[in-house]
Amino acid sequence: MKCLIIIPAYNEAENIEKVINNLTENYPQYDYIIVNDGSTDGTEEICRRNHYQVLNLPINMGIGGAVQTGYCYARDNGYEAAVQIDGDGQHDVAFLADMLKPLETGQADMVIGSRFVQKEGFQSSQLRRVGIRFLSNLGWLLTGNRVKDITSGYRVVDRRFIRIFAQDYPADYPEPEAIVIASVYGGRIREYPVVMREREKGESSITFKKSIYYMCKVTLAMVIRRISFGVRRQKK
Amino acid sequence: MIPSTLRFTLCVAVVCYFIIILYYLKKRMLDLKYTLLWLVAGLVMGIMVFFPELLVRFVRILGIESNMNGLYVLLLAFILMILMALTSIASRQTLRIKILVQEISMMEKRIRDLEDQVAEARSPVPPGSPHPYQGEEEAGQSGS
Repeated sequence: MKCLIIIPAYNEAENIEKVINNLTENYPQYDYIIVNDGSTDGTEEICRRNHYQVLNLPINMGIGGAVQTGYCYARDNGYEAAVQIDGDGQHDVAFLADMLKPLETGQADMVIGSRFVQKEGFQSSQLRRVGIRFLSNLGWLLTGNRVKDITSGYRVVDRRFIRIFAQDYPADYPEPEAIVIASVYGGRIREYPVVMREREKGESSITFKKSIYYMCKVTLAMVIRRISFGVRRQKK
Repeated sequence: MIPSTLRFTLCVAVVCYFIIILYYLKKRMLDLKYTLLWLVAGLVMGIMVFFPELLVRFVRILGIESNMNGLYVLLLAFILMILMALTSIASRQTLRIKILVQEISMMEKRIRDLEDQVAEARSPVPPGSPHPYQGEEEAGQSGS
C-alpha cells in the first residue's frame, strides 16, 4: 500500500533530523512529507540542507492547516493511505505496518493509534485524561462511535478520507473534530493500541492556560460540526 | 418628534457619509460589493432623517417609548449587522488565504524538485554538495 507519512512541524529544529533519519534508515518503504508550518527556528534551513521532502508554508497556518496541506499533497500524488505523526518523535513508526492492515483488508477507513486501549507507555496527566474522556464521550454521543483516544494525533486514513480531509479539515485543535467529520461521512474507525513516548525536546503546544480554551473550542466545534451535517448523516 | 436642530445635524452627517463613500469608491479603495452594505445603511439613515414620522411609528411598533432611544437601538442593530457581515467576509478570506498558502507550498516544492533535477542533469556535482550552482554554470559554459 502506497503510504505517505505526514509530519507537521512548527519550530521542530531540535527534533526533526532525528525523526527523519529514523524514518529513512529504518522505514524506507514509506514516503514522508514534512509540512514546515512557517517555522522561525531554522527548521526550513535544516530540511533544505539535508534535502528532505518538505512543503514550506510561507505563513503559520496552525496544525490543522499544516496537516491538511499534507493531505492535499497525498491526494495530488496518488497515495492510497496517509498517516499523520507528530514532528517531535512522540509516535513510533514501528506500529504503522499493523495499523495499515485494517485498511488493506478493507475493514476500516481510519485507524487511530491509541494510548488507552492497552494503557501502556506515556499516558498524559490525570487532568488531561479527564478532558480526553469527556471529549471521547461527547464524540460517542454525537456520532455513536466510541474512540477512546480521541485527541491522538497518530492516525491513518484511506484514499477516500485523504480526499475528504484535503477539502475540509478543521483549522486549530483538529483531532477530535476530524473524527466527527470521519464519522458523519460514514467512516469505519478503528483504534489500535500504541505506546507513545513523552516529548524529548520542546514543549507541548497545549499549556494549562490554553487547555480551558481548548476544551470550550473543541466542544463547540464538534457540536457545530455534527449539527451542520444534519440530514447528511452516514453519507457514503 | 425629533428636534429640528438634531434633524439638521443628522442631515449634514448623512450627506458627509455619502460623500466619504463616493470618495472611497472613486479612489477604488472600496470594493463595490462591500459598499452596497454601507449604501443601504446610508439610505435607511436618510429616510429616517427626511421622514421622521416613519421612524416614530416604527419605534412605537417595537414598543420603545422614547424616539431617541429608538434611534439608538436601530443604530446598534445596524452596526451589529454590519460587523457580522465583516466577520463573515474575514472568515471567508482566511479560508481563501489558507488554500493559497497550501497551493504555494506545493508549487514551491515542485520548483525545488525540478531545480534539483536540472542541477543534477547539468553537472557531475551531486545535489547536496555545498555549491550546486557552480557546477551548473561550468556545464553551461562548456556547452556554449
